[in-house]
Amino acid sequence: MNLRVPRLFLDSLPLVRQLVRQELVDRHKGSVLGTTWTLIGPLVTILVFVLVFSRIMGARLEGFGAEIDQYTYSIYLICGILPWMAFAKCLERITNLFVAQAHLITKVRLSLKALPLSVLIAESITHLIGMVIFALFLMLVGYPFSAWWLGLPLVFALQCAFLYGLGLCLAVLASYLKDIRETVAVSLQLWFWVTPIVYVADILPAWTQDVLALNPMFHFVGAYRDLIMRQQLPETTGLLVLAAVTAGFIWLAFWLLARTERDLRDSF
Amino acid sequence: MIEVNQLCKTFRLFAKPSDRLREALGGRQRHTPHHALRDLSFRVAEGEVLGVLGRNGAGKSTLLKLLTGVLVPDSGEMHIDGRVTGLLELGTGFNPELSGYDNITINGLMVGMSHAEINARRQTIIEFSELGDYIDEPLRTYSSGMVMRLGFAVAIHADPACFLVDEALSVGDGYFQQKCMKRIREFKEAGGSILFVSHDLNAVKMLCDRAIVLESGQITFDGDADAAVNHYNRIMARQAEEEEGRHRARHQGVYGSGDVEIVHGTALGVTSDAPMLSSGETLQVSLDLQAHRQVDDLTLGLMIRDRFGQDIYGVNTHQLGQALRLAPGEQRRVTVDITCDIAPGKYTLTLALHSSDHHLDDCYWWCDSYLQFEVAGFGGQPFGGVCRLPIALDLDAPATARDTRMPHASDL
Repeated sequence: MNLRVPRLFLDSLPLVRQLVRQELVDRHKGSVLGTTWTLIGPLVTILVFVLVFSRIMGARLEGFGAEIDQYTYSIYLICGILPWMAFAKCLERITNLFVAQAHLITKVRLSLKALPLSVLIAESITHLIGMVIFALFLMLVGYPFSAWWLGLPLVFALQCAFLYGLGLCLAVLASYLKDIRETVAVSLQLWFWVTPIVYVADILPAWTQDVLALNPMFHFVGAYRDLIMRQQLPETTGLLVLAAVTAGFIWLAFWLLARTERDLRDSF
Repeated sequence: MIEVNQLCKTFRLFAKPSDRLREALGGRQRHTPHHALRDLSFRVAEGEVLGVLGRNGAGKSTLLKLLTGVLVPDSGEMHIDGRVTGLLELGTGFNPELSGYDNITINGLMVGMSHAEINARRQTIIEFSELGDYIDEPLRTYSSGMVMRLGFAVAIHADPACFLVDEALSVGDGYFQQKCMKRIREFKEAGGSILFVSHDLNAVKMLCDRAIVLESGQITFDGDADAAVNHYNRIMARQAEEEEGRHRARHQGVYGSGDVEIVHGTALGVTSDAPMLSSGETLQVSLDLQAHRQVDDLTLGLMIRDRFGQDIYGVNTHQLGQALRLAPGEQRRVTVDITCDIAPGKYTLTLALHSSDHHLDDCYWWCDSYLQFEVAGFGGQPFGGVCRLPIALDLDAPATARDTRMPHASDL
């Protein structure tokens, strides 16, 4: 396999940067609040979960965090929901990417492999904003921080790589079959509920634990919680297997693109 | 420099979209091929302008898309020195909410400029587009002409090594087109290679050193621009003949008593021998009339209409004071030579046979848009508007007594 980065990929990077800017800044031009809108989304999500689940429902969980208080369930939720939102949004947008950007692909010399980066970078920045707000909230309620936070970017990077591979495969298929886009949207709804985001995995019967382990998001969400709440090294076997699966998806995506790119560009 | 060797491009037509996926993934063949380009080879040297002529569907756009890298060829080689920019990308990525200033950055990136290049040339681009203070207003407040000027200004300042110019250039007003042409010439003199795709035959003659003619994806002529234009005209004439059959079918709009009818007609430029000529050249309309009974007071009328159906010029034999008289069964050929001092564009000829000076009493035969012709570019002196009027210009006229006295309302 040729490991040298193709020139077209590098040439497309300034454009990718522009697309990121477009998503985060230019999109809000002409609105009163402007870029502030990028902050409002994550802020509202966090506020809702904190208020609803700490004050109104007052749910409590055992075994997480240094000390159990009224915020534990909210923190548990946010640890799962923020990466999930990034995951779902990225997957949905990358799947539809070639169709949505057809007006660019048919006009400008642009690497199809570079294009998903625009989504990943834009969504990562949104996620980062969410995490910063989350961290501020944790400071406010006096939740203990640890050096394990440094592991978060690594796990998130793996999540992005996974999304890149899977998303690119789906994007190729979605350019041929419109049904793929709808299928992904529906699957993401199901996927949300088979991932322990709002519930704790332990409440499920024992036999489901093995099935759960097949879900990549189970490992990602688990890793974030290990780093933030348990403050310990995440279970590495799962992540290593995921890394291998990610490599597999990226290889598959490149193979698919190599076979279909000529035809794909004709079909737009 | 652009060098193309044995370039082939086939489009596959599929009955349903899922067939496309199954074949792409390595199933059996499920498509019907359409050969857009076949074994194309040519070379554009530095500082050379190569014209590309061809009918609609001949493969011109496919060629441009292959050269910009938007499409991938089946086989063959393309070698392009440096960056290539086309007008295909005109205004790509424009965001209506952003100012013209910001859109220069976006579109500049689209055509392959770096941030540094964009910043260095921004002022020149703004001046070229002549948008003035409007440059800081959001794009949605621009007129379509202004948006287009901005797009051109960016494209034309991208300073690529190779420039692909297509029909998009002919959209602007005359003044702006001239400005673009001047800039293209400068670009050529600076050693750039240009591929010029156009239906404006005079522009091809003026700008191109050499031209190729594409027909069904193949080069059928490669050589001197003037000769290529002639070759292209011959193809067009042949097409016109082929279409004549289909044309007839469209002529169901014929009405009238049928006592006399036009059985055949052509409208050809005298020098081009094709239904395409330059403004100022002579169009010869040749008509074969067939009478079925004795007609003593026959008038032949013709009306030139533009593509909007607007009457441009019409005249009939009665107005010209020439009487026509046909015996039963008589066939007569009538030719009309018209000096086409009309603006470039597509025109139709409506023909009528009736009695006296109008068709209201006896209308024998009438057909709207019986013939078509196109005026492409200016042969002689250019002008504005729909037609040339005879004028006399005196740049050094002697002053007369009349001019010294200002006319007053009381004088009238």
